[in-house]
Amino acid sequence: MKKLIEFRNIVKAFGSQVVLKGINLDIYENEFVTLLGPSGCGKTTLLRILGGFLNQDSGEVILDGKEISNVPAYQRPINTVFQRYALFPHLDVFDNVAFGLRIKKMSEDLIKPKVERMISLVGLEGFEHRDISMMSGGQQQRVAIARALVNEPDVLLLDEPLSALDRKLRVEMQQELKRIQQEVGITFIFVTHDQEEALTMSDKIVVMRDGVIQQIGTPLEIYNTPNNRYVANFIGNSNIVDGMMKKDYLVKFDDREYECVDFGFKPNELVDVIIRPEDIRILPPNKGKLNGQVLSVLFKGVHYETIVETRRGASKTVTLHVVEGRDTFNKEANEMINATDFTVDIEDVKNLTNEDLIARANAQAWVPDSEQDISITTVENGLKEESGSYPVTFRTAKGTSITVNVKVVKPIVSEDAKYQIGIQAFDVYKTVDEIRESMAISVDLKTWADAYAWELDTQEEVAIDDVRFDFEPNEITAGDYPVTFLTEGRTWKVHTTEKQEEDTAVSIDFGPDDIHVMHKEVLS
Amino acid sequence: MKGFRRLAYPYAIWAVIFVVVPMLLVLIYAFTTRGNSVLTFRFTLANFARFFSDKIFISVLLRSLKIALVTTIICILLGYPVAYAISRFSPNNQALCVLLVTIPMWINMLVRTYAWRGILLETDLSPEMKVYIGMVYNFLPFMILEVYTSLSKMDPNLSVAAADLGCNNRQVFTKVILPLSIPGVLSGITLVFLPAVSSFFIPKLLGGGSFVLIGNLIENYFVTTGDWNFGAAISLIMTIIILISMYFTRKFDYTEEERA
Repeated sequence: MKKLIEFRNIVKAFGSQVVLKGINLDIYENEFVTLLGPSGCGKTTLLRILGGFLNQDSGEVILDGKEISNVPAYQRPINTVFQRYALFPHLDVFDNVAFGLRIKKMSEDLIKPKVERMISLVGLEGFEHRDISMMSGGQQQRVAIARALVNEPDVLLLDEPLSALDRKLRVEMQQELKRIQQEVGITFIFVTHDQEEALTMSDKIVVMRDGVIQQIGTPLEIYNTPNNRYVANFIGNSNIVDGMMKKDYLVKFDDREYECVDFGFKPNELVDVIIRPEDIRILPPNKGKLNGQVLSVLFKGVHYETIVETRRGASKTVTLHVVEGRDTFNKEANEMINATDFTVDIEDVKNLTNEDLIARANAQAWVPDSEQDISITTVENGLKEESGSYPVTFRTAKGTSITVNVKVVKPIVSEDAKYQIGIQAFDVYKTVDEIRESMAISVDLKTWADAYAWELDTQEEVAIDDVRFDFEPNEITAGDYPVTFLTEGRTWKVHTTEKQEEDTAVSIDFGPDDIHVMHKEVLS
Repeated sequence: MKGFRRLAYPYAIWAVIFVVVPMLLVLIYAFTTRGNSVLTFRFTLANFARFFSDKIFISVLLRSLKIALVTTIICILLGYPVAYAISRFSPNNQALCVLLVTIPMWINMLVRTYAWRGILLETDLSPEMKVYIGMVYNFLPFMILEVYTSLSKMDPNLSVAAADLGCNNRQVFTKVILPLSIPGVLSGITLVFLPAVSSFFIPKLLGGGSFVLIGNLIENYFVTTGDWNFGAAISLIMTIIILISMYFTRKFDYTEEERA
């Protein structure tokens, strides 16, 4: 195949923001190339540079062996299908399609058959003299494609042309576009953020991120052998775990070593390991490589997405002390006051302001009849920077007061040395009403207990994604309840055709060639 | 919804008293003779016969139409490029320019015309030329704003698409921008032509006593001569001419809008 377009070290910045950081890319004749990436990755900018609507700051654009940076858009043998079609509302379908040819001063006798052929290629026979405003989104899309293709360009650029269509129509147009491309046999450069679109239509996919090309390859290559975690995440839905390459063909993750087919890594290099959900099999316990439990099963149309947990997350259990509200009435001042006990991290004691104490104790005062709030003017703070129980008294201007017990505690930390995760949380004191009124009890419990988990080596925060408790928030009564906070363990997405029962013990299995090892991303 | 509809009643009453009733009065006066009381009025077409049989009246009518037409054309020729230029500016500068175009309109039109009278008094310009200056000055902002609105509403991608399909800058304008801005030009024409054709104080203040347009004629018969019947008849003729011209502009406008 002949090389048609070459991008040579294209750099483009808007103000201080560099959107293309040295793009090198070759595109061949008759290729269907997709530039894939999230918004802001530079894919549209690259397309606009090729179309002639933007100038690069440096680098060369070579078309058919000639550098074209100084050729204006209207002289380039390139046409574009725009995201919102940009059809001319003052012209009908035929005149829209004929627009480019009429600009070239082609005779009407030649224009008519060409336009009619294009209109039938995109399946719009009979709509020639329809007004654009009378066409549906999908039909307008077809007009836009015909209007561009009728000029017989060397390259057709498509700027997210399907993003405005609904799903069913989008799938239909994907097949249409591929058919049209094969029929007219010219190079299509397609920009999208939709990985499914990219996989369906492309001969070649260019995955971009932050102005840098991450990987160039066929859909199969990109899918099966992604270069890094970013590409793997963007294409398809994967299991990606941290691992270490012990030596060629041997990778270690989750404490065990596995044979694999990858090589050429440094010994003991830290890597990302990816196993596609459809490459994993579910077997009875002890038959596969890893034992686990089915966490959830979701039907996805053609398969079940089964989540298997092979390792529990790190966990920390604290006590939730639920007490009856202690509304205290001061008859002389006609004021009510209320506050609850709470715990404080020993590290935080010296930094606590009176406002903090009022907030933590949820101290409130009010006039019983009108429910009008009264501010708490003095806080008697008996806290010491030692573990123990200390009184704190809240008082209003009229002398109404309440004293609560505050427990100063050292952070309760559990460290899971095997999986390098630390987790901490505090006991919680709350009134019955506070629990009953909570709109999202799991989130509130996390906040109240100040529950936090982190990676021991990097100190990075790890999400606590499960809060377990055994009470009904709406019907809770005074008493002590255990609450457990858990980080996510190791879970595997598995695509199966058979439905698994939730909570059953299973094992998962995969072969050496199902494991794909990638270098860790080096962030620029 | 019903409660809201009731809110429109005061306006409906207002409209009947101040729009429909005066129109009916004009109609009645136009078809009756002088001296009739409402009770004894007699139908007549004499007022119209008088207008159309007198060459002077016809020439005043034609002159009014000509002045309005030329004013409108000048406003298009001056206003379109200004509106186009404004629509190319950055959004902030666009707002500033629109403000600059609008600021003169904050001052009463009559006051501004008096100012022009002072400026033009010492010049040797013909009364007709002075009237043109006054008309164009007063009505140009309407044209600029209307055209600007239609240009700024246009999808900028259309220009990009035209360039993509092989248009150079001139062709982008003639093939896409100009045809799509026609609705704006048409509503600009309505806003300039209609007040221009019936204006009476601009010719009165700037053209001197000798330069009479149809608006002055109506004013004279109501205020000076006191012949309300003939004045009403001329007003009615004027109204019909305006209605006809609006009909044609609208018709043209609709055929464009159906496509937009």
